[in-house]
Amino acid sequence: MMPSPVSTAVAVKPSATRKRLGSWLIFSAVSLYFLIPLGATFYWSLRGQKDVLGFEAYRKLFADTNFLPAFSESIVNAVATIFISLLIVVPTAYWVTLRLPKLRPVVEFITLLPFVIPGIVLVFGIIRLYSRPPLLLTATYDSSRILLICVYVALSFPYMFRSVDNGLRAIDVRTLTEAAQSLGANWTTILFKVIFPNLRVALLSGALLTFAIVIGELTIALYMAQHTLGPYMANLTRSKVYEPSAMAIVAFAITWAAMGIIDFVGRGSSKHLQMADTE
Amino acid sequence: MSYLSISHVTKQFGNTVVVDDFNLEIEKGEFVSFLGPSGCGKTTTLRMVAGFEIPTSGKILLDGADITDKAPNQRNVGMIFQSYALFPNMTVAQNIAFGLSVRKESREMITQRVDEMINLINLEKHATKYPYQLSGGQQQRVSLARALAIHPQVLLLDEPLSALDAKIRVSLRAEIRAIQKKLGITAIFVTHDQEEALSISDRIVVMNVGVMEQVGTPFEVYNFPTTVFSANFVGSLNNASAEVVNPASGFISIDGVQFESAVDLTQRKSGDKVRVAIRPERLSFASEQKKANVVDATIENITFLGSVVRIRVKIGGTKFNMDTFNNPFLDLPKIGAVEQITCSREAVLVLDE
Repeated sequence: MMPSPVSTAVAVKPSATRKRLGSWLIFSAVSLYFLIPLGATFYWSLRGQKDVLGFEAYRKLFADTNFLPAFSESIVNAVATIFISLLIVVPTAYWVTLRLPKLRPVVEFITLLPFVIPGIVLVFGIIRLYSRPPLLLTATYDSSRILLICVYVALSFPYMFRSVDNGLRAIDVRTLTEAAQSLGANWTTILFKVIFPNLRVALLSGALLTFAIVIGELTIALYMAQHTLGPYMANLTRSKVYEPSAMAIVAFAITWAAMGIIDFVGRGSSKHLQMADTE
Repeated sequence: MSYLSISHVTKQFGNTVVVDDFNLEIEKGEFVSFLGPSGCGKTTTLRMVAGFEIPTSGKILLDGADITDKAPNQRNVGMIFQSYALFPNMTVAQNIAFGLSVRKESREMITQRVDEMINLINLEKHATKYPYQLSGGQQQRVSLARALAIHPQVLLLDEPLSALDAKIRVSLRAEIRAIQKKLGITAIFVTHDQEEALSISDRIVVMNVGVMEQVGTPFEVYNFPTTVFSANFVGSLNNASAEVVNPASGFISIDGVQFESAVDLTQRKSGDKVRVAIRPERLSFASEQKKANVVDATIENITFLGSVVRIRVKIGGTKFNMDTFNNPFLDLPKIGAVEQITCSREAVLVLDE
């Protein structure tokens, strides 16, 4: 027997509602999974003073004479890492896209290597290789720091290459390059006036991801005896009760601010890449 | 000596010959179209003139100077791309000014030239807009202005209208041609659209698998194709295998049905296999126009195409299309009827098999 249209409509309605309810349940469960630990950490960070909820732990954290040096050292390391990484990755990705597309899988594999090698393996390998002549780079704090930045540059490759590569795929690199060439531009002009401005969002997202990694990195910095934010946080966890939670919230805030910047800049710039064809 | 000379140019990618011994002389101010299907080598030839590809052999001379191995940014050649290739981070005015600022022209000169170009393409109200704020047709006009701003010696257009809808395509091609004539600039236009090539060009180069099939004015290429490919590619065409019957009087036979051609067949012998080509619009009912080549034809199908009615007929064992202009009083035959069909001697083209 054929069901009537009314009965079909009635039969469909609960199923759609069930689906929507299911989606909301999953969304709520996932949200709680992330928000409960964050809320608990924040709550714990507010208990720095007995029986009073306040920002005492944050005050103590910022008053700690070791915090700002560690924080600023990590910032400098992150900026240096981003700068070197951009200098290596952007021209490489640009050239691969433009002239050597067949090499893309090879370059992708190389940039993914930091994901495959555990940090602890990497750091012992590096210490072993660079702690004796002719490549003695662990002799002083400053030379170790240079070495650490070089390692961070390698660690940033998967994020930086992927971001830049996605950005390059979003624009017609080849045609834009040829258009600029036919107008008389040389390679430097093309890179700085045509390619870089159109990769703004990609460069920013790669840079901020790198920033987040370098700021929170612990294993390599610890074994290379560097006084950066990672080892500082680890030390704080061992010796204090409420400050580590405050530190975690500060780190979260920095990361979220970074994501906010990407989103804000991305909204403005994505319009430029859109090619209207609505005539 | 011609203004642009492409001499014995060959381009190979690995073992594949993409352009084979290409020779062309282009005069100053001439508008030449490269017409052919995908993969025929037309874009590669254009890219060699632009400097994006270096010929495997041969020479390219521009105004007497050898530019074969010159970098693209040293050639002073303007290029327009199918995808417009406007710089998304720059406004219309900045896009047009780009080539001039790269050449380190003075600010006053750049402002003056940009204004001139914006007036030329009638986009005065859009100078401060970004490419994403413009329609496809407007973007391509900006691309044209940007290429012309640098006073290029040659303007190269790589299928510039392909991404646009039909109406805009027709109006923009007229605009491109008018600007090209006004400025007297030498232009090479790549297209696979025969109507575009026929309507816009001084000369057309028909290309196929890397080889030039025919070079001529649109009138010559359409009316007097010299190869089977050229005849088939430009316009619609009836073509059939035939045999030379009497070379002196121009008689040939298609499937036992005799036709008379105005083409000189004296270089051929009786019994030679040839290919005969007749445009559909050159065939007509004999009652309308009684001349030579009157043959019996069976009406197989009639298709109404608006301004034209296409009638499929069978002459001997061979099927032909016949186009006739539509009019409300057209007395169309019945399907299956046998009618007398005719065409002039000049309409019967004879090509190598």
